[in-house]
Amino acid sequence: MTLKYILNPILGIAAEILYALLIISVGFLISLAIVL
Amino acid sequence: MILKPRLDEIKTILYYLGKIVFGLSCTMAVPIIIGLAYNEINPTLDFLLGIEISLAFGLLLTKLFYTEKDLNWMQGMVVISLAWLAAMLLSAVPLYLSGHYASYLDTCFETMSGFTTTGLTLVQGLDHLSYAHNFWRHLGPFIGGQGIAIIALSFFVKGTSGAFKMYVGEARDEKLLPNVINTARFIWLISVVYLILGTLALGLVGISIGMKPLNSFFHGACVFMAGFDTAGFAPQSQNILYYHSLLFEVVTIVIMLMGALNFNLHYQLWAGNRKELFKNIETKTLLITIILTFLIVAIGLNQFGIYPKAVVLFRKGFYQLISAHSTTGYMTIYARQFINEWGNLALVGMICAMALGGCICSTAGGIKMLRIGIIFKALAQDIKRIILPEKAIVIQKFHHIMDIFLEDKLARSAFLITVAYIALYALGAIIGMCFGYPFLDSLFESTSAAANVGLSCGITDPGMPAALKITYIIQMWAGRLEFISIFALIGFVVAAIKGK
Repeated sequence: MTLKYILNPILGIAAEILYALLIISVGFLISLAIVL
Repeated sequence: MILKPRLDEIKTILYYLGKIVFGLSCTMAVPIIIGLAYNEINPTLDFLLGIEISLAFGLLLTKLFYTEKDLNWMQGMVVISLAWLAAMLLSAVPLYLSGHYASYLDTCFETMSGFTTTGLTLVQGLDHLSYAHNFWRHLGPFIGGQGIAIIALSFFVKGTSGAFKMYVGEARDEKLLPNVINTARFIWLISVVYLILGTLALGLVGISIGMKPLNSFFHGACVFMAGFDTAGFAPQSQNILYYHSLLFEVVTIVIMLMGALNFNLHYQLWAGNRKELFKNIETKTLLITIILTFLIVAIGLNQFGIYPKAVVLFRKGFYQLISAHSTTGYMTIYARQFINEWGNLALVGMICAMALGGCICSTAGGIKMLRIGIIFKALAQDIKRIILPEKAIVIQKFHHIMDIFLEDKLARSAFLITVAYIALYALGAIIGMCFGYPFLDSLFESTSAAANVGLSCGITDPGMPAALKITYIIQMWAGRLEFISIFALIGFVVAAIKGK
């Protein structure tokens, strides 16, 4: 139970970072597509 | 017939205002500690004077107007409107004493910009500002982003009913936990955990690019507070351009995006409901609008060919776009480059991104993703009604923490606030044009102020007309509180004058 209280926030933060990285990747791909 | 407010109603308002001012005064202890740590005697004295004035004001109100009564809706809204004005005036004192501002109005502009997480600045000689004053500039957004009333709710207010009214008055209508005081405390917990992680990440990146460790972590803390709270202040006048680092820029993009997310979503993710991130209407709308607005900006920039390489387009175009869309206001270009180099199409894309803003119940400003999502869902519902047979029942649902049926009153409310924001953007642009600024420049700056973004195309400057400074202060205030509290204050004043 205690492990869950520690692990869930860590995984939650990791999910948010992944979401941000997804947006960053999309942004970079659009930059690449526009320039090419 | 309008009823004149009773004396005990005014007393209740002033008592709760005193509580909030008292809570705010306590936060001035932080720059005092910073000043002492960096051996800055004069700045420490500035803050000692500032804290004395604020504490005296707060204590005077709570002692003189002591009451056991709880707030009603109207009073809660009025307290919040007044609290933001009091916060602006009182926290400007130590900054004004620094001697880095041309007038007290400029300092008030700075503090309102900070508390509302806007980031437009009128500071002069920022690169020579003391650590204590600089930290206070960045602490403002951290306090205002979470909500000025949240401090009072977390520590100084007992009754949950009045507390909830103040919480809603600050444009936060989502409760993370059943009790609003626990909700306020949880918002602080999330913010402090992210502050530690973000400062660590930015501090390490700073060290990797050659900054001294102490300085690097100071910058890390400042940049994180202004980034996560979508304010856009930076410790140096060159803003994020100062660091000249792709890694620093990527980390700040992550921080800006996390700051633009709903606190309720943070809570769901922390509670283990990770699917919510990809099901929520706000995160989906945010992704779509970022792609669309960046396409406009990128095509606009490509017409002029100023960023011919993908990495440069990403670091200049995409960075500015995320900064605009998350309503942060961090910049990796100089302000005048928007006007001199970007061209009209890219500027229109940026204005659209700023106007749309981040998520509801986040530190971001603008119209907000939930409202945009609801409006598009309502539009889809109406199109279905036209296409389908007359007797068909059209039901539209959306997912925001739970599945919600789209009712007409929800769509109406989203549409009304959207119209109010657009009117506020337009009003500021018209006033800017009255002072002789071109249309697109005025609209850009006005949208930036009203959506609490902080990007500037060069209009915001200590030399701009005082009336325009006051216009932007009002826009920042109205944009942050999402109008309702300000309408309540206007109604209260009208009732006091015309009521019987």
